[in-house]
Order: sequence, then structure tokens, then C-alpha cells
Amino acid sequence: MTAGTLTADSGRPVDPVDPDDPLSRQTAKAGGGARPWFQLLGLPVVLALSLVACLVYVQTAPLDSIEARLLDPGGLLSATLRHLQLVGVSTVVVVALAVPLGILATRPAARRIVPFVVGLGNVAQGVPSLGVLVLFAVLYGIGFWPVIVALVLYAFLPILRNTIVGLQQVDPFVVESARGMGMSSGAVLRRIELPLAVPVILAGVRTAAVINVGTATIATLTNAGGLGDVIYQGITLNRTSAIVVGSVLAGVLALLIDYLGGLLEQALRPQGL
Amino acid sequence: MSAPAGPSMISLEQLTKSYPGQVEAAVQSLDLEVPEGEIVVLVGPSGCGKTTTMKMINRIIEPTSGVIRLQGEDVTHSPADQLRRRMGYVIQQIGLFPHLTIEDNVAVVPRLLKWSGDRTRARVDELLDLVGMDPSVYRSRYPKELSGGQRQRIGVARALAADPPVMLMDEPFGAVDPIAREKLQNEFLRLQEELRKTIVFVTHDIDEAIKMGDRIAVLREHSVVAQYDTPERILSDPADAFVAEFIGAGASLKRLGLARVRDYPYADWPVAAISDGPQAALAALDRSDETSLLLLDDQRRPLRWVQRQDLQAAGASLDRAGMAVRAMVEPTATLAGALDAMVSSRTGGVVVVDGRGGFLGTVDMGVIMKAAEDMRAAAQDSARSGGPLMRAASGT
Ligand SMILES: Nc1ncnc2c1ncn2[C@@H]1O[C@H](COP(=O)(O)OP(=O)(O)OP(=O)(O)O)[C@@H](O)[C@H]1O
Ligand SMILES: [Mg+2]
Repeated sequence: MTAGTLTADSGRPVDPVDPDDPLSRQTAKAGGGARPWFQLLGLPVVLALSLVACLVYVQTAPLDSIEARLLDPGGLLSATLRHLQLVGVSTVVVVALAVPLGILATRPAARRIVPFVVGLGNVAQGVPSLGVLVLFAVLYGIGFWPVIVALVLYAFLPILRNTIVGLQQVDPFVVESARGMGMSSGAVLRRIELPLAVPVILAGVRTAAVINVGTATIATLTNAGGLGDVIYQGITLNRTSAIVVGSVLAGVLALLIDYLGGLLEQALRPQGL
Repeated sequence: MSAPAGPSMISLEQLTKSYPGQVEAAVQSLDLEVPEGEIVVLVGPSGCGKTTTMKMINRIIEPTSGVIRLQGEDVTHSPADQLRRRMGYVIQQIGLFPHLTIEDNVAVVPRLLKWSGDRTRARVDELLDLVGMDPSVYRSRYPKELSGGQRQRIGVARALAADPPVMLMDEPFGAVDPIAREKLQNEFLRLQEELRKTIVFVTHDIDEAIKMGDRIAVLREHSVVAQYDTPERILSDPADAFVAEFIGAGASLKRLGLARVRDYPYADWPVAAISDGPQAALAALDRSDETSLLLLDDQRRPLRWVQRQDLQAAGASLDRAGMAVRAMVEPTATLAGALDAMVSSRTGGVVVVDGRGGFLGTVDMGVIMKAAEDMRAAAQDSARSGGPLMRAASGT
């Protein structure tokens, strides 16, 4: 995914000018104050233009009857919403599972199980998502939830790993001085460790969500809908236009989620870091 | 300084720490009394267990066995979080919270203790003033926007926030350059004059120990006390070869750093007022055994050193005779400072002047040699007579 690099220079607001750093002063001057909104709007404009291009194509190109069915605007919209739902639900579930597990794994009592837990996450991600999905479809039948389970397994590692790394990279002396001042371990976790780990944890969530947009296209295999319907039918029915439109929509969705994730990271990143 | 120890604020009794998986204890059966209102410095070679000892006092490290008393109360098993709020804690790495402003950093313990907002705010400003940082400038800054020395000051302010009776400081000035360290040390000593906290101060630097300590515990491996005594007595009368070696060369010089010029009799150098003329000056020089004489102006401020031939050659005028006085100190200077002035001005003596520059006396090599002798003798006497702080039994 190029999404990371895209937001790296589009989503970040200008750092406060450091008078000792000639570089930062230069860039701030070069930006002339116009940089934030210009940069912030860059990606959404590109994404909106891609959508408009798709729409115009769908409306104006000579389509045969199969294409017309596949590319019906109402159908595309509901496929996109369904896709978003798959990604949203799976991301919420995986955050609710992986972040607490990551926190547990970094508590002193459990520190020794970290390699084991990360190993499990590795295995989960190493298994091909398709295989997982088929397995769950066989076990639990087709539908919405098998897909969610597959997506959760697949996105588990990035979030778990980032939670662990984010908590581990907190300066141990900061934690020690907090304990030494008489903060309980719970208070240290809530007020010191988690705020300091937020940027890394959110980066994991963002990566996972973006991965899920791609992976969720396989939902079509268990009849769970989403943009995968458009793409896979385009493949089976040999309609390139459907493949392209479905892929563009998925791509736009991935970039949009990454972009919003970037904004969220900026908003939630504690000041002073 | 060698006054009898006051009541103990902290007592460590047979305190032992064995880290899991290690054969030998990091701290072995340590007994130590920390008197109220004093700075006790734990000093010793790297790895001897100073940090471990200090961290057992606020139970950041739980002792394997032994008892910790705070004001007589056994706190070995009392709730650690409450205990820690009664002890300021400063470490070399400082550990300021990077995502909190300076105000929020300093306010942590007051808020844990549920002080009102107004009281906390007032206390933060008071503390920032106390450590010499303008609250209106620094209150809302973040730690990364401060210099190393400023962070260290905030570390101290934060530890003082709830006015704890005890401060634990592990190499608190270890991370700054020597000039900033000197400054922080002096500031801290001035603060302590007012605050009179009971302080356990860890360092591996014997010079810092001598400067900061009311008492020094020299530790060897496994935190065994080699000597627990005042700086003067440790310098004058090291308990054994280990302590002597740890003090290193220059114990006499270090002792001179503890003695003030005003506490010793001045040398008897001849002086004359410039207005008395060369004949009077010559007569004064003749009455003494010295080879030169100090000329004073009408306000008795030192002017120049003159020798016999200067007085004879100058004829009627003293206006230009001799060599300007360059080495002058005030009575509060240390003998080490006086010696330094003497050596760097390449003269045999320094002139002691009062705050307005008026002549008080002179200090020469003879004075310093005599002072060093007296200090050694006095310290040996008091060590032999035994104080409340006996040398730790050797060979433990
Ligand atoms: N967490 C730990 N686990 C195991 N051993 C430790 C631990 N911390 C310290 N030690 C060991 O205990 C001994 C004493 O360590 P301590 O940190 O108290 O020494 P120190 O006197 O503070 O040294 P320094 O001057 O280098 O800071 C050392 O041998 C050290 O290796
Ligand atoms: Mg140490």
C-alpha cells in the first residue's frame, strides 16, 4: 500500500516552529501558512475526482446489459456501504480484542508470554485469509460473521503488535518516576502509558483497517456482499469495466480510511511529544 | 556538622535484597540510620548496591528481608503508594512526563492527594519560583522545551510538591555538564538550608558526596557500610584502606574545601597606609620578619605589595612602588579557594577583605598548612572519642 506515504505528507499539520531548527523555520516560511489546508485538502480532492470519473463513466459509457446490472449506481452504493460495514465492524471487534490483550501482555506479571502471544498473532496473519474464510464457512456456514472472524484474525497482529510496542517504548524511567510518586499501577497505565502509546496503537489500527478494506473483498465468497461482488463478478463474467470500477471504489475507500485515520492520529496524539 | 545525630527519620534494619537468579545479595544485611533534617549521601563504586538500597526505602524495589522504619513506624509492608506520597523521588533520568505540561508534572502528587485546584496552582507557582524558573514563562511548557538543567530543576520541584519530609535522590545531577551540576548543587544546598528535608542522596562521585553530605556512608560491595561519618572525619580518618582508596589522592585538598578562611587566624603580614609615607612603611617592614609589606589606601583597602628595595628606591613617593594586589578573598571563602587564588596569582599570600573591600588580614601557606594539620588532629580526636555515629564495625 502506498497509503502510508500518501498521508505522511498530506495529513500532517505543520509542527510548531522550532527557533533552533533552521529547517523547520524554512519549511514553515515556504508554506506561508497556506500549507495546512492545501495539504489537508489534497487527497480528498483527488479521491472525489476519482469517484466523479467513475460515476461519469458508469452513466455515459455504452454498457451492455450485464455491465449495466453490475454497474447500477444504486447497487454500487449499497455494495460500498456493505463493504464499509464489514471493515467497520471487524475493526471495532479486533480493536476490542487486541488492545486489551496487548496491554495484558505488557504487564510485569505477563511479560514472559509476550513472544508466545505475538507468535500466535503471527500464525494468524500467516494463514492465507482465503483459507481462513473457507474454513469458517465450512464450520459456521456462509454469511456475515464468518467474514468478520476472518478479518479479525487477519488484522489482529498489527494491532496487537503495535499495542505491545507502543507500551514497551514508553521510557521505563517515566513509568518508574510515576510509580515513585505514588501513582497506582492502574493510574500509571491510564494516565501515563496509554497516552504515550496512543500514536503507535492508532498507527496499528489504521494499518489494520486499510488491510481490511482489501481483504473484505473476499466476503463475496460467503455471500456476505461488499465490493468483492462487483470485482469477482467482473472477473467471472469477463467485464473489465466492472473490475476497474470495483477496484477503484475499494482503493478510494482504503485511501479515505487511511486519510481519516491520519487525521485521527493527529487529533489524539498527546501534545508535548 | 559533627553535632550529635537528631532523631532518626529513616531506619534500615538488616535490610537485604537478593535479585532472583543471583547467588549473592545486592544488599546484604544493611543497618543505617538517617537523622532527621540531614543529607545522608550513599557513595561507593559502581554496582555496590547504592541504587538498590535507595529504591528499597520507597519500595520501588521490595526488600527480600529486613525492616524499614519511617519516623519509627514500620513501613516494610504498608501500602506502597501511600508511602511514596510521603517521599520525594528524583532520579538521574528525571522521568518527567513528556505529554504533560510543567504545571501538570509538578502537580501530580498534590492532585493524588486531592488538594484543591487553587492550592495546587499556588503551590506549583511557588515551587517554580523556588527552583528559579519564572512560572509565567514555564508553567505551560512541555518538558522537551526545557534544557537539561531546567528539567532537573523541575524534577526537584516535582518531588518537593507535596512538601514530603523525605527526599530520595539517585544521582540527581548526574546527567548535566560539570558547570551546570555545580550550579544545581549550590542551589540545592541553599534550598536545603531553608527546607531541612531528610535526604538520602546517591552518587558515585566522592567530591559530590563531600560537598552535599552532612553525613556520608561509604559503601562497598553488597552495600556493606565501610564507614558512616561526617565528611571531615571520612577525609581525616578513613576507616580502612578501601575508604582511603575511594577518597583517592588529595584528601587534604578536599578537606581544605570544607574549611572557611574566617575560621582560622590570619597571618601576621606588615601593613602601612600609603599616606604615612615610605619611612613609616620601612619601619613597619623592619619590625617584622617578612620581606614585603602591604600598602593600604586611606579607606584601608589593599593596594600593592612592596619590598624593601621598592621603599628605598622610591624616594619620597609610594604612588607607584611595588606590585598590585591580585589575590583577594572574602572571609566566607574556603581555604581551597584561597589556595587557588594564591597559586593562580603567583604570590605567596592572599589578602582577606570584607564586603566593602577593607583589609582584614592575609592568608599564606603557613596558615593553610597549620589549618590542615589542625583539621586532621581534630578529626582524629573526635573519631577516637567516638560520637553517636561510630565507624561501622569493620570486617562485616
Ligand atoms: N533488576 C535487577 N536484576 C538483577 N540484578 C540487579 C538488578 N538491579 C541491579 N542488580 C545488580 O545488583 C547490584 C547492585 O546494583 P545497583 O544498581 O544497586 O548498584 P549501584 O551502586 O547503584 O551502581 P551504579 O553506581 O552503577 O549506579 C549490581 O551487581 C547489579 O548488577
Ligand atoms: Mg545506581
